[in-house]
Amino acid sequence: MMPAYYLEAAVVILGLVLMVMEAFVEKADKSLIAKMGIVGLLVVLVSLFFVSGPAEGDDAPIWSFYAVDPMALFYKGFALVTTILVLIMSLDYRSVLQHYMGADQEKPGAGIGEFHYLPLFTCAGLMWMASAKDIVSIFVALELVTISFYVLVAFMRRNVGSLEAGVKYLILGALSTGFFVYGLTWLFGLSGETELSKIAAALGNDDSAMVRYPKALLFSLAMILVGLGFKIAAVPFQIWVPDVYQGAPTPITAFLSVGSKAAGFVVGYRIMEPFFANHVAPQLVTLILAISGATILLGNLAAVAQENFKRLLAYSSISHAGFLLLALGCSSSTTSPVNVEGVMALYLGGYLAMTLVAFHVMCLVRAQLGSEDLSAYKGLSKRSPFLAGVLLVAMISLAGVPFTAGFIGKMYVFLMALQSRYFVIIALAVVGVGAGFYYYLKVVRAMYWDDAADDQSVQISTLSKVAMLTMVALIVILGIYPTPILNLFAA
Amino acid sequence: MITLNHYLFVSGLLFALGLSGVILRRSLIVIFMSLEMMLSAANLSLVAFSRFHLVDGLPNYNGQALVFFIITVAAAEVAVGLAIIVALFRARQTTSVDDITSMKY
Repeated sequence: MMPAYYLEAAVVILGLVLMVMEAFVEKADKSLIAKMGIVGLLVVLVSLFFVSGPAEGDDAPIWSFYAVDPMALFYKGFALVTTILVLIMSLDYRSVLQHYMGADQEKPGAGIGEFHYLPLFTCAGLMWMASAKDIVSIFVALELVTISFYVLVAFMRRNVGSLEAGVKYLILGALSTGFFVYGLTWLFGLSGETELSKIAAALGNDDSAMVRYPKALLFSLAMILVGLGFKIAAVPFQIWVPDVYQGAPTPITAFLSVGSKAAGFVVGYRIMEPFFANHVAPQLVTLILAISGATILLGNLAAVAQENFKRLLAYSSISHAGFLLLALGCSSSTTSPVNVEGVMALYLGGYLAMTLVAFHVMCLVRAQLGSEDLSAYKGLSKRSPFLAGVLLVAMISLAGVPFTAGFIGKMYVFLMALQSRYFVIIALAVVGVGAGFYYYLKVVRAMYWDDAADDQSVQISTLSKVAMLTMVALIVILGIYPTPILNLFAA
Repeated sequence: MITLNHYLFVSGLLFALGLSGVILRRSLIVIFMSLEMMLSAANLSLVAFSRFHLVDGLPNYNGQALVFFIITVAAAEVAVGLAIIVALFRARQTTSVDDITSMKY
């Protein structure tokens, strides 16, 4: 057994080694970097099962800002799986990158090596964030993720769309950091502590400034919610999402929509949790529910009109943030045997599988058919029955058809909301799910019912096939047997 | 006598100025500068909270430690951010937000 923080150290060292190696790899082919990254991360993923928290009596300072609990371990694995799949996607996406990096014939790989190792640093940030339980480490981990995303989003520097997406993400990301830090500042000012467990303990003390000044506390929590709202793409902080998702390189869009959202929810849950059993809980819950309802409604309704598959998934990602917020909003009132952490983990686990499959298909279609519009998916079942099949599973799961992970996640969220008697939000969510069926199945219709413009087929590498089949298996298994994840979080 | 409230007021003012700069100005460079101002606002209130929240007669240094992290992170953010803005300028010959509207649904 080894201390859990060895994992982050291993990922960072792997990233640094690949960074140095990149300079020496032949310029024609940089795929070696990505392949080594994939192997290295798989090793880290396996060693995740052999880590431990602090031993009895071990009070080294690191354990005061680094948590090792089921939640931390689950989201570490989550970050690792996401990064591995993003690296596999980036291999399939190389031809597009080479085109926009202005590579010449002799050195087609020049300039894209960074694309293969930068995700490792993001991964380390995501893993650290899963464990962070101190204001300082939360902030630093969050910024490690955000700043490496700035670079990755704007990576295709000869493509105006990617640059614009980069600038928009930069400005709004930095704005959200401003709000988030200001909120943390006030939380520190009111509690006098930076450690979340000590803040929670201080809440029980009636002399604490947090109890004496509930308005200031709410202000601070609202600022933190605004900052995290940007990260998880909640209304009204979702304005950047469609443009950034559309402009960014597709593997990075996938990374943003899965990794960034999960990290936002982990941090949000860790910070907000003590306040759900407290004098500010009613206002806090109202705020979260209002955001949740607006997010579900806007995300789903705006997706209906989209003709670009990437923008469609951007709005779909917004709507899923709404469902997750609804789960978070049930924290203070739910009495069901399953707890909120478990439901959030289940929902995000299913969301990871279905979203990554959809983006993987999109990478292949973009690289080989040259378009991200829905029209490019017409007749995909003739071009490649395999791709159409996996995308079909991903789409029906995103829509929430029974026996898929998407259904089981939504079902638990609805059950918790019913128990908490949030009937207005449930009505909005039902409208959202209905709209969801329409636009997800629009993609299925294009694939199976429409005819392709030409008879060009799509080639898929074995590695990608294995990756997509694993995710499809995960969707089906979680849809039928979600108990392992729920048990992981059972008290 | 300058109290905690005075510092918090100035810090809130800085934050509001920064936020209005982000919303109202059209030049990316000025927007970016305003963003840094918002982070400075947080730094100022952190130091003030730390100074006025004495632990055993000493300021609460946890807050001041966070200030150093914020300064460092802000520097990293500027390094990356300005590089992206330069790349955009080379591609489009503009740094005005009114011109970066090629993506519309």
